[in-house]
Amino acid sequence: MAAPGATPGLMAELFRRKPVRSGEGGHAAGEHGDHLVRTIGTFQLTMFGVGATVGTGIFFVLSSAVPEAGPAVIVSFVLAGIAAGLAAICYAEMASSVPVSGSTYSYAYATLGEIVAMGVAACLLLEYGVSTAAVAVGWSGYLNEAIRNLTGAELPHAILAAPWDEDPGVINLPAVVLVGLCMLLLIRGASESARVNAIMVVIKLAVLAMFIVVALTAFQSDRFADFAPMGSAGVATAAGTIFFSFIGLDAVSTAGDEVKDPQRTMPRALIAALLIVITFYVLVAFAAIGTQPWQEFEGQSEAGLAQILQNVTGTPVWATILALGAVVSIFSVTLVTLYGQTRILFAMGRDGMLPRMFARVSPRTQTPVQNTVVVSIVVAILAALVPLDYLIDVVSIGTLTAFVVVSIGVIILRRREPDLPRGFKVPGYPVTPVLSVLACAYILASLHWYTWVIFIAWVAVFLVFYLLYGRKHSVLGRERGEETGR
Amino acid sequence: MTVVVGYIPHRGGRGALDLGLQLAHARAEPMVVVTVVPRQWTTPSLARIDAEYAEYARQVGEEAEKQARDYLTDTSVSVATSYRATPGRSVSSALVAAVEELGASTLVIGSSADGPEGRIVFGATADKLLHSSPVPLAIGPRGYRSVAAAGFTRLTCAFSDNPASARVVARAGELAEQLGAPLRVASFGVRNATMYPPEVGLTAEDSVLDSWAAQATAAQRQLVDDGIVAADVPCVIGTGAGWVESVGSVEWQRDELLAVGSSGVGPLARVFLGSRAGKLIRASPVPVLVLPA
Repeated sequence: MAAPGATPGLMAELFRRKPVRSGEGGHAAGEHGDHLVRTIGTFQLTMFGVGATVGTGIFFVLSSAVPEAGPAVIVSFVLAGIAAGLAAICYAEMASSVPVSGSTYSYAYATLGEIVAMGVAACLLLEYGVSTAAVAVGWSGYLNEAIRNLTGAELPHAILAAPWDEDPGVINLPAVVLVGLCMLLLIRGASESARVNAIMVVIKLAVLAMFIVVALTAFQSDRFADFAPMGSAGVATAAGTIFFSFIGLDAVSTAGDEVKDPQRTMPRALIAALLIVITFYVLVAFAAIGTQPWQEFEGQSEAGLAQILQNVTGTPVWATILALGAVVSIFSVTLVTLYGQTRILFAMGRDGMLPRMFARVSPRTQTPVQNTVVVSIVVAILAALVPLDYLIDVVSIGTLTAFVVVSIGVIILRRREPDLPRGFKVPGYPVTPVLSVLACAYILASLHWYTWVIFIAWVAVFLVFYLLYGRKHSVLGRERGEETGR
Repeated sequence: MTVVVGYIPHRGGRGALDLGLQLAHARAEPMVVVTVVPRQWTTPSLARIDAEYAEYARQVGEEAEKQARDYLTDTSVSVATSYRATPGRSVSSALVAAVEELGASTLVIGSSADGPEGRIVFGATADKLLHSSPVPLAIGPRGYRSVAAAGFTRLTCAFSDNPASARVVARAGELAEQLGAPLRVASFGVRNATMYPPEVGLTAEDSVLDSWAAQATAAQRQLVDDGIVAADVPCVIGTGAGWVESVGSVEWQRDELLAVGSSGVGPLARVFLGSRAGKLIRASPVPVLVLPA
């Protein structure tokens, strides 16, 4: 930090950190400062984790991942799950050492500096914004399946697929409609309560359990004969694709402030959530591969699980139930991720990293309306035009990179500020964060080259935007400037 | 100009009388107590089959007048009061007709009896009037009692950051002068519920509320800069997890009046209550005056 009166150098400017003010992220003029009451127990926290994770990907990730790894995709699920779990534990320490509640962006800003926070923000835009688009695309497949089975009406393919899909259409209209609906709900200030979340968890797990049971009736062990046709490289590539379906596990970490006895509760809930999720995913993959040769997954991107049930049973009943469950639960996932995206941009707008418009609250609805509309339009365009496979991989690379930054951040913070009070410390330091970095890096290294190109270009655009705009408009920078008399 | 009080005996009528008296006294206007009585069938009938019904309707009107008279003779202030019974099929449209006929300045009604004491509760009539009254509509909390001679100690105007609301503040300023009460400007914000799962932390909505409060403060300052209110008019911000908490977070005096603008969506120059204003009114601990936008 610059001494008073001195002109801060460029490095000091880029790595300036947002000081943590007491009471920040807390309360407005009212005196409802009691939100620090620790009320969340292990069970509820586990439900957050399961609720946030299941449903983001498992309903449609198999058609992308199985062709990459073959039956060994089961190993990929475990690998991706372990990497996500290690990262989430590091995330929890990061969250607990910064007494602001918020997303990774806020933690990075408070601990690692402005430019790192911007890099993390670029990753988070992929994790939330692009995943909202991906989830909406997946939703449209299941909606079509449900409509076809229930009414017999076939929606024209032109309005169901993106123009650059393998089977090209014109626009993915249901995905656009879904994003639009969620936008309206968010503008009106609707929110999903803990109770609705619990109901959604039950629905998702119930339809997945149904899938496993029904699909296992057609199980043939010889489907696993050629277990890893692509070798370990294929397993890692598939893990990268699958990583998408573990997004949301970090929701456990962000609740840190309100968790009872976090040192015990946090790892327990994380591990419990992770075990539940991995068990379900592995069983779903195991049952699905048992029903059909792994080569047949390719191209089954629309309502993949429902199609498998249809093939297995010969009646549309089970497929319809599964499709309806997916339609309901994916709707809630879209709402939550779109919400997350708007609130991250809101935080950035308040910090001056983005135009103030993003932090403007409508006096009428008291929600950030302009922000929500801009985000929804961009997400809707992505969902309308980009095929699912591309979206999924880009989401994974963004999330993995954010996790690597967080894991490295934990190590940096331990060295730089060893005495900082931490509500939660990573067990097995320094092995755990290092393992987390290695696991994420291993998966990252195996992603497709074009994913990397998209990702690097995106981060570069974002950082250039920061250097040209955010650096000068930073609220923190202006405050510092006033202090130093510039 | 007169103050018209819509009076229904027993059912929360006294609160309306008290509020009407307080308003009429403060503005030095006469008061008309209007009771809507059942209307008779106008079809001629040799057998006079509705004679008993007509008698009943007349009695309702007389009874209401007598009760109101009894109550108002006890009061300490002298307000020229007249009584009338208006036949009508719907209470709200009969009251609106009376208001238009009398050229009233304000229509006063009481809260429905189905609700907690001390809160404003809309019955069907109030709800209809809140969307159709041609003049400002005053509504008191359930069980409202006042000392009319004391007048109003303050007029608080609810303000939201938009041009229509600024016009309402300007009108409230004139009204405060007529009532001889100081003006206060208040903005109320409600913290949205946290979304679960809490992927961006559990306090994301607190920062939204913080931003809202900063914007509302700036908008209130702009009112002073634009000359809509004087620089010494106090401005407050209320926030809370719900409307009741938000309204309760600022202090209220006993004989205060809250002015709320109605939505600009409805027909011109009529009261037409927006959904947020409706929530605000239900949370108000003091009588509310709804002004046309």
